Amino acid sequence: MFETLKRKLFSGDRGEPIVIVSGLPRSGTSMMMNMLHGGGLAVMSDGEREADIDNPKGYFEYERVKDLESETDKSYVREGRGKVLKVISFLIKDLPDDNDYEIIFMRRDLGEVLKSQAKMIDRLGTADTDADDEAMKEAYRNDIVRTRLLCKKRPNMRLLEVHYKSTIEDAQATAQQVNAFLGGRLDETAMKVAVDGSLYRNRASS
Amino acid sequence: MFGSSTVKVKIDKDLMDRLRKVADVAGYATAEEFVTHVLEKEMLHFEDAGSDEDIREKLKGLGYIS
Repeated sequence: MFETLKRKLFSGDRGEPIVIVSGLPRSGTSMMMNMLHGGGLAVMSDGEREADIDNPKGYFEYERVKDLESETDKSYVREGRGKVLKVISFLIKDLPDDNDYEIIFMRRDLGEVLKSQAKMIDRLGTADTDADDEAMKEAYRNDIVRTRLLCKKRPNMRLLEVHYKSTIEDAQATAQQVNAFLGGRLDETAMKVAVDGSLYRNRASS
Repeated sequence: MFGSSTVKVKIDKDLMDRLRKVADVAGYATAEEFVTHVLEKEMLHFEDAGSDEDIREKLKGLGYIS
């Protein structure tokens, strides 16, 4: 109740919140974008990055977001009001303050994330860091904690953490949870249908 | 520490004994000074987002930042 009141007082004339789907690359962000799109939320995407073997259902990305860290004019982000925009966790800190953000933060086993990222980098043939998996896990853990701290600090950010594996196991539950977080305006059945468990290919060995 | 208030934190006694020994060997004036230094260094990992070159390189390779 207090949080809602605080946000209303703080938000002024900044319009509808921007729904942000965030997380580490390969943590299920595209799956969540697909769920929200299916549920009826408009997507802020330029369609430049086309579907491929790593994301057969598409990336739902907006290319200019890749420059959030370096670009000074970020006014274009306002176009995302009332829509959903994909922004990886590392760039959440660079979102401009003149919008409200409802952030759905995808979480996945870090071993699975790294395995999937390694395959993608291999396929793309791009350069990779020299850091080993343990160092990357530590860096990513810090990235996740920083994002959580940032969302607690900034009054224009609300955060919901969603686990990739539990979404694959029970898409209906995730659809309900996400829809409740966003105010109950989405089609939960369509969100559930958008989840394709066959794309859960890089599993942690247990 | 001057000018700032302090709070007490409970630490396992065995850990505190080890901290005292290491603080002494490492040349800290007190175990408290050692603990404060270690915690401040650790906090930097979370607070200093500009130091993550490994993440930046990885994200460039994946095509998520320019």
